[in-house]
Amino acid sequence: MGTTIMAASYDGGVVMGADSRTSTGSYVANRVTDKITPLTDRVYICRSGSAADTQNLSRYVQWFLEQHGMELGDDPEVKTAAKLAQTMAYQNKNLLQASGGLAGLIVAGWDKHHGGSVFAIPLGGTLVKVPFSIGGSGSAYINGLCDRLWRPNMSEEECKAFVVKAVSHAMARDGSSGGCIRTVVISKDGIKRSFIPGDEVPVAAGELPPPVRQVRA
Amino acid sequence: METAQQGGFSFDLCKRNEFFAAKGVQHPGFTKTGTTIAGLIFKDGVVLGADTRSTAGSTVADKNCEKIHFIAPNIYCCGAGTAADTENVTGMVASQLELHRYATGTQSRVVTAMTLLKGHLFKYQGHVSAALVLGGVDFRGPHLFTVYPHGSTDSLPFATMGSGSLNAMAVFEAGFKDDMSREEAMALVARAIRSGVMNDLGSGSNVDLCIITKDGVEYLRNHEYLQTKTYERQFPQKFASGSVPVVRERVYDIRRAVQVVEGEPMEMEVS
Amino acid sequence: MAAALPVRASVPAAGQAVKQHATWSPYDDNGGTVVAVAGDDYCVVAASTRMSTGYSILTRNKSKILQLNPKCVIASAGMQADQETLHKVLHSRHVTYQFNHRKPMACPAMAQLLSNTLYYKRFFPYYTFNLCAGLDDEGRGAVYTYDAIGSYERVGYGCQGNGKELVQPVLDNQLKAASPLALPPQQWLSSLPLEQAVDLVKGAFVSAGERDIYTGDDVEILIITKDCIKTDRLELKRD
Repeated sequence: MGTTIMAASYDGGVVMGADSRTSTGSYVANRVTDKITPLTDRVYICRSGSAADTQNLSRYVQWFLEQHGMELGDDPEVKTAAKLAQTMAYQNKNLLQASGGLAGLIVAGWDKHHGGSVFAIPLGGTLVKVPFSIGGSGSAYINGLCDRLWRPNMSEEECKAFVVKAVSHAMARDGSSGGCIRTVVISKDGIKRSFIPGDEVPVAAGELPPPVRQVRA
Repeated sequence: METAQQGGFSFDLCKRNEFFAAKGVQHPGFTKTGTTIAGLIFKDGVVLGADTRSTAGSTVADKNCEKIHFIAPNIYCCGAGTAADTENVTGMVASQLELHRYATGTQSRVVTAMTLLKGHLFKYQGHVSAALVLGGVDFRGPHLFTVYPHGSTDSLPFATMGSGSLNAMAVFEAGFKDDMSREEAMALVARAIRSGVMNDLGSGSNVDLCIITKDGVEYLRNHEYLQTKTYERQFPQKFASGSVPVVRERVYDIRRAVQVVEGEPMEMEVS
Repeated sequence: MAAALPVRASVPAAGQAVKQHATWSPYDDNGGTVVAVAGDDYCVVAASTRMSTGYSILTRNKSKILQLNPKCVIASAGMQADQETLHKVLHSRHVTYQFNHRKPMACPAMAQLLSNTLYYKRFFPYYTFNLCAGLDDEGRGAVYTYDAIGSYERVGYGCQGNGKELVQPVLDNQLKAASPLALPPQQWLSSLPLEQAVDLVKGAFVSAGERDIYTGDDVEILIITKDCIKTDRLELKRD
């Protein structure tokens, strides 16, 4: 799954974003994939790498957190979810390699103790808390852009605009990223999903504008 | 020696087989269904479609096989990949869901079938080569999933799989609309399968359809019968009776060995 | 620092254990089946017209038969590029022959030329499986069958290409006597009337088209008699 994924923290929470392309070789197997998967009500994970590995890893983490939440009698913290995902990725990295794919993950969300937080879990199974993180094959193209544009204490709207801009630039340059942009905003008020169709993704410099959508009777 | 009680496959002979392969021994192949399967969601439910050719290498092993498998009364599943794997994996899930229905007394859900399939396929890391299009209608409405051999799944409004998937997807991408009527949907799926049948050598023969709505299932075996033989022999070879010599003849009277006992019908406990 | 390096280097990095490099093959199998049946005063030559690679059809209408003269044709299965090259070479040699000898080449001579042409490329063969068919100097049907590097023999009927495993046994059953050693001696080859031979070839192709994925679409049939070459065409299934 060649991908562009990212998450960025802002004043009251986090914004997560991803493209929607899943490819097998040169064939696009799914052009409307949802790579932002819920782990709990307020913690989500961005998946890159092998679709099979990351889907099933997320399933296990969901299951652990469901039980943990019941024991706790409260919503799990973001760092707990991130640590669980990291442990699964690290302890199974031999298997993840065997199946031809590696898992690059970003866990982000909101909890009442720490507010919004972003955790990056890159290829080997490292865990780092970061103000923002980008991942997947498309991220190579937008390091400079993100370093330039990210600021602490953005508003929700500013942060979402930043995420959409970054992902759309990565999609423009990376052949294995594309399709639509999905975003999830997580704050104390809950989650807000949004979806930008392929023909409404902002155009990068040098690109042709998208064709006008045909409306069929 | 105590052996662990466990289900699934035995991989004991894998090392041996690798050794043989390295020595140049050819292993027997298995029936791979080069296939076109497809499905889409329409106004009232799901339409699934499949071709009916099964191949072993370049020869056609079965000209009219069934690739749309039963999962539950409201869920069916098209299978591509190794024939044995698709048949067994769908059979296993169908049986698990039936037991689950007995335990809960509720209709099976499509996501449950999908989760069971992906869990099994992921466990075997792609060695169980089943590529599936799973469709059904439950109380939450129509659902359609693709399941890949490695255990990844996609939820889609229209989906194709198998060696003819690109042909079929081209038809879907050109002709799919939201909320199609039953007739429109059936025609589009049949057209998608037909494009696989005609243009992909791994797919062929006839078109099977399965329409699932909340009111029931219509399984149309050989919905489209595409082509019959194009030539009848003018001088057909006829073997006269007696062409094959009878070497030996033996007649048994099985009535002496079989005893027929009439009995009363047994009471069956219901409820 | 330096001491740590050899230790790290001895640990094989993931993915380096099996070294893979891209390979390229000069050969491709474009499928198809060719059949020829010789009779007392005719020769039937037939070839399917589907050309394919892997699971895709490249065209449904590609002739595999080269008509050199009214008494001799060559039918080739295998790789299309090599078929084309071989046919071009043979055509050119045939033109030259006619300049030198002021007559078309006879079928047995062409059969020998084809063998020589194939063996010329012994260590980089044409990926083609050929039949040379026509009428010999006495006007009897003649079929020559080849391997890819020029070994050949004259036979009463022949079959090459993807469908040969399906078609050859049928032809054997219909055209061959039980055994050359059978007593009292039977005729080694049975010769059919022309209509029955054409019917047999058509029947064989229809059956091969049912079970072989590389045989389909159409069959091009040439009927060679002393007067002319008549062409016929039969539709097969297109799936």
